[in-house]
Amino acid sequence: MDELVERELTVPEKPDEVWRSLTEPEWLGEDATIDLREAGEVRAGDRAGFVEEVDIPRRLVFWWSAPDEEATRVELELDETNAGTHIRVTESRPLAILDGRDLAIEFGAWGGGAGGTGPVASAGGVLAGARR
Amino acid sequence: MATADPADAVFAALSDGTRRSLYATLGERGEATATDLARELPVSRQAVQKHLGTLAAAGLVATRRSGREVLYRPTPAPMSEALAWMAEVGGQWDDRLAALERQLARRRSVSA
Repeated sequence: MDELVERELTVPEKPDEVWRSLTEPEWLGEDATIDLREAGEVRAGDRAGFVEEVDIPRRLVFWWSAPDEEATRVELELDETNAGTHIRVTESRPLAILDGRDLAIEFGAWGGGAGGTGPVASAGGVLAGARR
Repeated sequence: MATADPADAVFAALSDGTRRSLYATLGERGEATATDLARELPVSRQAVQKHLGTLAAAGLVATRRSGREVLYRPTPAPMSEALAWMAEVGGQWDDRLAALERQLARRRSVSA
């Protein structure tokens, strides 16, 4: 079974406006940041991860994990409707069958100013392999 | 309305942030009275009692009487690990989307 959580929300703003709020993600927690480019860093509380896909202002996909938890994949999709914007979020853990701990450690290790893209690339590589 | 699916009751019980932290605290302690739990959480004993009732109705906690005290303990039995994950993550997104909605509403009132 694919473990998946889905939530939906419609807001009166246009997708551009909603996207702007996604890029200043205080709604994800104080000091949360998303570097909105492929392989950009995601931080929210004790969670860390990276961006998989950015399609302004329609789609944002990222991976993240909390310490000692397996990595999960979050998809945010914005659709313009007559009422404004329909937001759909899905979080799944395609890696549930794998041991996500190594990834979690790896995620937790980056940031902190070291600026190396190595861990990003290697985590991405593992994930890309796992998704097939 | 009687829900046939026990998962519905579990999701409903865990859709509330206070109940999730209550359930988590109970999980850490193993067993506790409502008074113990109220001491650890920013909630009154009465509120803790009410939330424990909801968790109990969903089969998430069980009780045991010890002298004049009622002790609560978590019973993870009705939840598979996957179900627990989905309830937890679903509740988190409910909170985050509510926060996003508030953030947008604030901008709206600023730009108005």
